[in-house]
Amino acid sequence: MQTHGLSLNPRPIPLSPKRQATTIAACDTSTIKIGETSTGVLVAIRGANVWRQNKSYRYIRLGPFIFHLTVESKSEVYNALERSCFGTSNDGNHQNISIWQMPMRIAGLLERWLQSMLASMVSNGLILFDGSLTAGAGGVSTRGLKQILVRASENNNTVLAFSKMTNLRADGHIITDVPFELRPPCLLETIGLKTKPPITLLGDVFVAKLTCEDYAFRLDISKDLSLEQKIEAVEKLLGNDVISQSYPETLRLAHILCTFTANEVLAMQHFAVRKYGLKLVNRPDMHKLLFGPFGRGEICS
Amino acid sequence: MKLYRKEGNVLQILSFPHETVEKGDYLLVEDQEAGKALIAQVIDVQFASIPGVLEELLRGLPDGGEVIQGEDFDPLEIAPHITYIQDASLLICKIRATLENENLSPSSSWLPSRSQSTIKKLPIPTLLRLAKVDGKLPIVLGGTKDSSLLTIDAVHLDGKLNIITGKKETGKSHLSKLLMVNLVGYKATVVVFDLNGEYLSLGMTSDGKRNAHYDKIHVLTPSQNFKLALKQLNLHVMLGILIHALHLPGTSAREFRRIWLFLKEKDMLTLHDLGETIRTWNCNQHVRDALSSRFHALINSGFFTDNVAEAALLEDCLFKAKEQGGAILVNLRNTGAIDRQIVVEYVLGKLVELLTSWKLKAAFLFAEEAHLYLRETYWDDIVTRMRHFGIFTTFITNQPDTIRENIYRQADNIFLFNFTNEHDLDVVSRAARVDGETVKSIAHDLPPHYCLTLGKVVKDFPIVVKVKALDVKTMGETRLFFQN
Repeated sequence: MQTHGLSLNPRPIPLSPKRQATTIAACDTSTIKIGETSTGVLVAIRGANVWRQNKSYRYIRLGPFIFHLTVESKSEVYNALERSCFGTSNDGNHQNISIWQMPMRIAGLLERWLQSMLASMVSNGLILFDGSLTAGAGGVSTRGLKQILVRASENNNTVLAFSKMTNLRADGHIITDVPFELRPPCLLETIGLKTKPPITLLGDVFVAKLTCEDYAFRLDISKDLSLEQKIEAVEKLLGNDVISQSYPETLRLAHILCTFTANEVLAMQHFAVRKYGLKLVNRPDMHKLLFGPFGRGEICS
Repeated sequence: MKLYRKEGNVLQILSFPHETVEKGDYLLVEDQEAGKALIAQVIDVQFASIPGVLEELLRGLPDGGEVIQGEDFDPLEIAPHITYIQDASLLICKIRATLENENLSPSSSWLPSRSQSTIKKLPIPTLLRLAKVDGKLPIVLGGTKDSSLLTIDAVHLDGKLNIITGKKETGKSHLSKLLMVNLVGYKATVVVFDLNGEYLSLGMTSDGKRNAHYDKIHVLTPSQNFKLALKQLNLHVMLGILIHALHLPGTSAREFRRIWLFLKEKDMLTLHDLGETIRTWNCNQHVRDALSSRFHALINSGFFTDNVAEAALLEDCLFKAKEQGGAILVNLRNTGAIDRQIVVEYVLGKLVELLTSWKLKAAFLFAEEAHLYLRETYWDDIVTRMRHFGIFTTFITNQPDTIRENIYRQADNIFLFNFTNEHDLDVVSRAARVDGETVKSIAHDLPPHYCLTLGKVVKDFPIVVKVKALDVKTMGETRLFFQN
């Protein structure tokens, strides 16, 4: 993505919450390594759809799905899942993707499937994605994401994608670090963001500061809407969801519900060993082994 | 179950939900390789410290404190495994003994293998067999948690100091009745200071009929069927009453001694003559006044009489009991504080007299709420001197702090019922025969009629027992206002 010409519109867009009843839906997925075997890695993936309607939250959580990925099986697993999620598969050769990246790719597949479910099931609502509306890299196909956005639009939904981290810079500064000259809630519009093929940007990028706390997020909103419609969508979000630390609660819940806790990892190890007789291998941490206290600490690992 | 940790004589064992282990249960930690096993008792059950549990609980409650509604699609059925891990418990156990070649030793100095040891529940009957808790004179206390009977040997009450304690209405008197009845059944002599008249129907069944012990139960109610003629009294016992129960000063006691010897020599030991002699005795006026006031206290107690035929002989009851076994129930109900002390002084004095002269072999004394009638110096006497004479005491109380610390230290057996008050448990935990943690942890959760048995009767293996029912008429119930 080219950020040389990227700048921020100096005039922040003020927002005022719109209370018009609107369904807020969000989805997120999570992946975790359960252990290593002599031939590969055992991973778990889980996804959650959360929606807020009539001031209460509901969820559907899928998983955990456990996969034993080996160098030989990783492409086969991915292609089979893609077929079962979307009916078709590129039957791509994923040999250049390492076994460690593959869980993220599989989680991405599940996330896109959950997103397409929300796009189809919700109408006249706001659909919150975790991440950006950038396609063409990291396993996100432009065609796939476009289809989701089209389906959402057909059902009168607006997709808002919140990124917790961004590398986009304006005048050398990360866009979310730029100070706002207006009391939140407000948006800053980005100007001049260009992408290089195969990367495509399917949304317009904003910096959103939705509460007075010192948090700002990159917010991507479907390109096919007018600026007024985009602003109205964010205002509906302010009026229909709990926002704390500039982050919508529905999306936070989706993240919380799919994240794995330590005891779940223990339980899945227990399951894999009990049910499939898998032998998990404890590989020594070479950093700690070689460098002792100077090895990689907990924080870096 | 898996061995997790050992610190001193405390074992921490990881237990999973399908393994039902409760406080008080015994576990056998067997190390086949070492050919030894540890016998440990569970004193507390805690949640195992599983990482991530807090997060798990928190994420279930994000919607304003209400559980968020939703559905889980869990095709691999991982949820039961999560529950299994979350519900794992940590058993805190005290090592009681090491088992090697069927022999028990109190050692806990070796470390069983963490990975190879097998841990299983040790049934109480097996433990009792290993510990050789049996004997020739069995007393069935009741049922243990695994539905077996706990049978102790009456021999382990013989020559011993026992304490029965617990809060109100937990079954202390019931257990003391059970012990009394069994001791009487083995022809023992039992003396009971019955403060509330609870034991008076020991010879009756619950439906009011005579039971097998009826003829062996002798109820003595002071100033009713239990009176004394001065002639029956030994000077030593009389002085004990005057000094300890009626607080007669030493100078006056010496004068009384002269009066008593004077009257005895003239065969004039009657209440009337005693009163007259005090009135006319040539002595200091203060001494006369002191003697006169004590004399009137004796008269007012109603415990003394000049009619020898009216006077029941404690001695007779004790001798009867000596032959066939029997319980002498001294009914202290409706007796005032001073009169109660007079009676107790007399009974104890008489007992010591008979025991020192070997007219009696030994007696089991059951003293309920003894602090209400036992003078200070008797506490030490009971654990030292009287024990050698052959008075083997069982204290029964719901106020454990009324019994001195040295009594707990020297107690051979403690039958502990439920206490919820930390202070009460602190007091009991000073007993030498058990560690404080066991007492505090197990006794705190005992249901009514369940008793933690500690001491020699169970060979120092604390065992929880539900005291068996006894077909004896209930007495001493609290009088209620709202009762038809």
